[in-house]
Amino acid sequence: MASSATPQGSLRHRNVPGSTKKNKDGGVSDVEVDKVVKATTPQKAPTVSERDYKIVFTLITALAFLTRFWGITHPNEVVFDEVHFGKFASYYLERTYFFDVHPPFGKLLFALMGWLVGYDGHFHFDNIGDSYIANKIPYVAFRSLPAILGALTVSVTYLIMWESGYSLPACIVAAGLVLLDNAHIGQTRLILLDATLVFAMACSLLCYIKFYKLRHEPFSRKWWKWLILTGFALSCDISTKYVGLFAFITIGSAVIIDLWDLLDIKRPGGALSLPEFGKHFAARAFGLIIMPFIFYLFWFQVHFAILTRSGPGDDFMTPEFQETLTDNVMLANAVTIDYYDTITLRHKETKAYLHSHPDRYPLRYDDGRVSSQGQQVTGYPFNDTNNYWQVLPAVQEETPKMGRHVLNHELVRLRHLVTDTILLSHDVASPYYPTNQEFTTVSLAEAYGDRAADSLFEVRIENGKPNQEWKSISGHFKLIHNPSKVAMWTHTTPLPEWGHKQQEINGNKQIAPSSNVWLVEDIPSLPVDDKRREKPERKVKTLPFLRKWFELQRSMFWHNSQLTSSHPYASLPYQWPFLLRGVSFWTQNDTRQQIYFLGNPIGWWIASSVLAIYAGIVLADQFSLRRGIDALDHRSRSRLYNSTGFFFLAWATHYFPFFVMGRQLFLHHYLPAHLASTLVTGAVVEFIFSADSAESEAAFQAIKAGKKPPAVKRHISARERLAGQSMLGSWMTTIVMLAVVAAGWYFFLPLTYGYPGLSVEQVLRRKWLGYDLHFAK
Amino acid sequence: MATVGDKPVVASGIDVGDARRRNVAAPPPAISQPLEADDKKKAAKKSPSVLDVLCQWEWLYAPIIFTALAFFTRFYKIGLSPIVTWDEAHFGKFGSHYLKREFYFDVHPPTGKLLVGLSGYLAGYNGSFEFKSGETYPEEINYTFMRQFNAFWGAVCVPMAYWTAKELRLRRPTVWLVTLMVLCENSYTTISRFILLDSMLLFGTVATTLCWAKFHSQRKNSFDPEWFFWLFMTGLSIGFVTSVKLVGLFVTALVGLYTIEDLWNKFGDTKMPVTELAAHFVARVMGLIILPFLIYLLSFAVHFAVLTNSGPGDAQMSSLFQANLRGTEVGRDSPLEVAFGSRVTIKNMGYGGGLLHSHVQTYPEGSSQQQVTCYHHKDANNEWFFYPNRRDADFNPEEDPRFIGDKDIIRLIHAQTGRNLHSHEISAPITKADREVSCYGNLTVGDDKDHWKVEVVSDAASRDRSKIRTLTTAFRLKHEVLGCYLRAGNVNLPQWGFKQIEVTCTKENKPRDTYTHWNIESHVNEKLPPGDPGKYKSPFFKDFVHLNVAMMTSNNALVPDPDKQDDLASQWWQWPILNVGLRMCSWDDKTVKYFLLGNPLVYWGSTAGLGIFALLVAWYTIRWQRGYKELSQDDVDQIHYAGIYPVIGWFLHYLPFVIMARVTYVHHYYPALYFAILTFGFLVDWFTKNLSKVLQYGVYGILDAVTIGLYIYFIPICWGMVGPNRDYGYMRWFENWRVSDA
Repeated sequence: MASSATPQGSLRHRNVPGSTKKNKDGGVSDVEVDKVVKATTPQKAPTVSERDYKIVFTLITALAFLTRFWGITHPNEVVFDEVHFGKFASYYLERTYFFDVHPPFGKLLFALMGWLVGYDGHFHFDNIGDSYIANKIPYVAFRSLPAILGALTVSVTYLIMWESGYSLPACIVAAGLVLLDNAHIGQTRLILLDATLVFAMACSLLCYIKFYKLRHEPFSRKWWKWLILTGFALSCDISTKYVGLFAFITIGSAVIIDLWDLLDIKRPGGALSLPEFGKHFAARAFGLIIMPFIFYLFWFQVHFAILTRSGPGDDFMTPEFQETLTDNVMLANAVTIDYYDTITLRHKETKAYLHSHPDRYPLRYDDGRVSSQGQQVTGYPFNDTNNYWQVLPAVQEETPKMGRHVLNHELVRLRHLVTDTILLSHDVASPYYPTNQEFTTVSLAEAYGDRAADSLFEVRIENGKPNQEWKSISGHFKLIHNPSKVAMWTHTTPLPEWGHKQQEINGNKQIAPSSNVWLVEDIPSLPVDDKRREKPERKVKTLPFLRKWFELQRSMFWHNSQLTSSHPYASLPYQWPFLLRGVSFWTQNDTRQQIYFLGNPIGWWIASSVLAIYAGIVLADQFSLRRGIDALDHRSRSRLYNSTGFFFLAWATHYFPFFVMGRQLFLHHYLPAHLASTLVTGAVVEFIFSADSAESEAAFQAIKAGKKPPAVKRHISARERLAGQSMLGSWMTTIVMLAVVAAGWYFFLPLTYGYPGLSVEQVLRRKWLGYDLHFAK
Repeated sequence: MATVGDKPVVASGIDVGDARRRNVAAPPPAISQPLEADDKKKAAKKSPSVLDVLCQWEWLYAPIIFTALAFFTRFYKIGLSPIVTWDEAHFGKFGSHYLKREFYFDVHPPTGKLLVGLSGYLAGYNGSFEFKSGETYPEEINYTFMRQFNAFWGAVCVPMAYWTAKELRLRRPTVWLVTLMVLCENSYTTISRFILLDSMLLFGTVATTLCWAKFHSQRKNSFDPEWFFWLFMTGLSIGFVTSVKLVGLFVTALVGLYTIEDLWNKFGDTKMPVTELAAHFVARVMGLIILPFLIYLLSFAVHFAVLTNSGPGDAQMSSLFQANLRGTEVGRDSPLEVAFGSRVTIKNMGYGGGLLHSHVQTYPEGSSQQQVTCYHHKDANNEWFFYPNRRDADFNPEEDPRFIGDKDIIRLIHAQTGRNLHSHEISAPITKADREVSCYGNLTVGDDKDHWKVEVVSDAASRDRSKIRTLTTAFRLKHEVLGCYLRAGNVNLPQWGFKQIEVTCTKENKPRDTYTHWNIESHVNEKLPPGDPGKYKSPFFKDFVHLNVAMMTSNNALVPDPDKQDDLASQWWQWPILNVGLRMCSWDDKTVKYFLLGNPLVYWGSTAGLGIFALLVAWYTIRWQRGYKELSQDDVDQIHYAGIYPVIGWFLHYLPFVIMARVTYVHHYYPALYFAILTFGFLVDWFTKNLSKVLQYGVYGILDAVTIGLYIYFIPICWGMVGPNRDYGYMRWFENWRVSDA
């Protein structure tokens, strides 16, 4: 019996007056009574033996490998998102730093595969359709990793049903629906992360069921083993993609229900003391939360340990982080800025230089506000001598003292070289923003006279320490106007004609936003061969792991939330169970071949309708119970709510959260939920075609009333449970169902394997729900 | 506690309440009279002390005092600021539209704005003022009265909170505390003092909660007149609140959940006859679904009945509806039948459809050609010329008009830019499955991708399909080359398309998809005689649905725009912790300044209360699971109805704003806050019930005093701050409470 005994199990008793008493006071649980019933009712010869399960298991696993590996060499070109994940594997092998929104585990596996076959990562998977043969890529090795995991997913599905004590036909239905599913096949024979994801998700369900079956031997060695393995599977799941979080919700809900029952004072096995309960709680918290988190961090540590060289991901990180990477261009050129240096300042976000020219602000703007008529200060995207500013110390010096570094938080003045004026801000509204201050320049006399205070600016280095040196390129800083505490800021709306369509520079009262960040791009006053430009052999710095991880994590979440742009093949969650739309992965015009990612419509529709049937059965049962009509025997109900309920929960938790997700979604996001729906399908098929024998039900009621002492605690297998029942109905259903599913699978195979090419008529025949296939004309 | 007086207090409390709130309903029959007399007799026997008398008459004077205080705090110096403050700019303007009877469009249902219009009418205002934000009210507008009318709704919330707390069986000191917290809530005070919908929304929410609590108290007296009375009162207030703002649906959901639970319990009661069960069900459907819906419908019926003149919102409605507005251009003197050379505007017939529109801005992606959209406002860019296709004889203004009919192939030329309506094999910007529609070429430059085939769907006026007629003919436009249909499916474009509706060419041929149906709205052709096609009236129900769909569509377009910085907006997480306030007007020294900020104790206390309540429930359920039987059925019921339901109410009013991806402001939290206050009241009540008298007095004394103290401390932000804002710097406890610039 899988998971979560039983708020529902006892729910029936709570609702039906009369039976409540017996259960609560008698202390005899259904499960224990079952054992007694088994012991007392004559056993008939088992219809299915353990051996049959094993034979079928071997067969299904073999078929799974066959379907996943068949023609894996085709196409020998880059397909769909192989562009990304192949590229990342190459980066790992080249050890160049890259950035991606997914956690590293799945990508590390690919890198491992590449490393094992001795690939050096020279190819960067730039475009869909690039040839693997011409570029000498061991792409079969890469693809065989997901194919293996995809094939094993089928076996795990079978094992889940088997471990949960379902009959052989039920196991076959569930595993068969995954085995013969074009979406699972299609997604798991390409270099994509979903094979790892779905496999880890299935494993976490299996391990948890194993763990739960050992609930009568808590803290035994096996119990710990399966608890830890559940945690490990969950960790792999979430370390592959963040949707792995849903598996945590599934298992977490089951654990909470389980813990709730452990807390029950009238618990069948005898009440637990609070310290004992605390032990249970702590063990699960450790195994299912703390340990997975440590594993999760571990993969990041591996990620950082491998990626030691500067690469395309540098720009996503802070300068401190970049200093930990070797041969980082940006840091190689950083020069400490001294007073009296001439510098160019560049706005980080818009890439505009701080610029000034002799033109003045107009007296009156279009909206009637007036300006100071001072010299314009603008943002200008191109190199120009008008971008040159000299850094002057706050105190005017008779003879310049050279060679002093500018430090963080020091006050400076900026002299515009060409016009020999000093940068200044004051309480005059800027051209576009009435709330922001105008920036202008004034003559030296004024700047050191009446306006002395207004021309002082503080250099505030981002994440800087006191007395840190101000460096070009690497030192991101904000320029804060000292008296008014506004930050120099610019935006992309160009000024009108009077400002030559250059950018407006103004003082932003909100200092915190990152759009206020500037950097010094160069020091033009330094000759190219100046000694200060010479670099001593730079030491690679280190940062504490947690800091690096935290920075990367924040950046990942932020970029993940930005993935809102639309994609031609994106779909909406409500379309998935009905399989309304697929995704075009790859096409080849010459041969009219295409890969169109799509599930097996027949299989998906069966699974989805069974979900509806399941919900209907549960609702009908609840309504009839509410009216005092008890139509189910106790064991069917227990399985219906606990075991099948767990599968249904897994489906719901892997499906519904997508509805509130704002990001781009694709059909492959449904794969974990689809796997759960096949489990429900198997279970419901068995539920419909089997009923507990009237004999044992009668015995059950009798013993319950008689309060016999509990017998041995053990899990009941399907063999015992279904002893003596005719399985003909379920076998027939299974065979018919799988035959139809296999037909659908075969029909859509050319779209999954990408060959053979189809004629127009053949393509049209496959456009069932208006699937947007190529080559339909 | 005068337990003797409790029962009659409740019962007669209703009487007083209803007598005063005349607009709600007639008082129920005075059942309580004998009881009260009885009570008096008892009291007389004991020759009561002054305190006893005070306690005994609390039900009468407490609400009166609270109401008086509420009116004082809400009305005091209400006319101090003579300028249009914050959203008065919107709602005042909508009120003006009612007075001028001009059809306008807004995302909110009409009741609240109708009442604003009514207040203007009562104030003798003629609707001529434009309500520009920050402008000074002219002499002739009695804006003080209009504000007072609004403040009335806000003030009435206070006594209703009193009766609600009482009905939730909280003890007297708690009832007072809850009432005080509503009374001394600075944000409630401020928001009630302007011409806004929020005071009515708050009134509706509080009233619905009160009626629900009353109805719940009557549960043992099913089908009694009083039970029916409160059932229908609940329905009435639901109808009111949802037709003020759709936020009212959340309190409706609360009542809905209660009803489902109630019916589920009755469903489980096998002793109840099925007929009775059915009666319960039907009564609730009538009272809580049909009645509110009728009120909602009624508000729209009044809306349509009042707004009989053409106005700024015309283009949101169907052409036929517009043709029936007074002073409209639509259908007036326009020729009946359309010919080549006619200048027309073309209206999408789907619910919430707009006019086919183009402007010089181009698509940022795809073809980069000129955008084609659907637009809901009158604009010269909505005008198109019918031209013959490139194969036919060219249009010659001198020749006799050639009429256009079913299956004719035509070109549409945008009047302002001279470009042709065009489509091609490029995905549309949002609906990627469809093709992009653009404007391309000119009179001579172009290809056969500018050709569209007219397919007449229906004609309300005639069976003859050989001509298309203004207003009455529904037709589809089929792209000749691609075979797709011109469609506008209420999908808003991003900011680059000014949030207008995306126009696409859809491959699916669904003849009944009204979003592919178009009709001619205005039609100018000097060669043709004027006709009067506007004699067909569109049915009310169709207009109703049409307007509601249009409301939803533009509501969905209110998503935050990263390009546009709005420093008034705030985030959901900032509200319960009172992280931020809102400046309602300009902050210079001359204006009277109002700042939206709550009473810190009320906000922080109620938010903490929600957390403590969760712990409380967890504590008792775990203890129950461990076999402790410490709660009586009464206690459980008290937690259930006075604790859990308010918490659910809070979630229902809060979570949607967390999920919703639209611009949110602090005042969106105010209905949720009310439920948080009720929860807080429940907790104080629960934790003090077994304390000694002295401790109880202490706790309540401190809470009451701090609430009142903070309210008075912060009162300038509600009553208006005169003079330089720096004088009020003492209230800027945190950086984000931008009461002053200092």
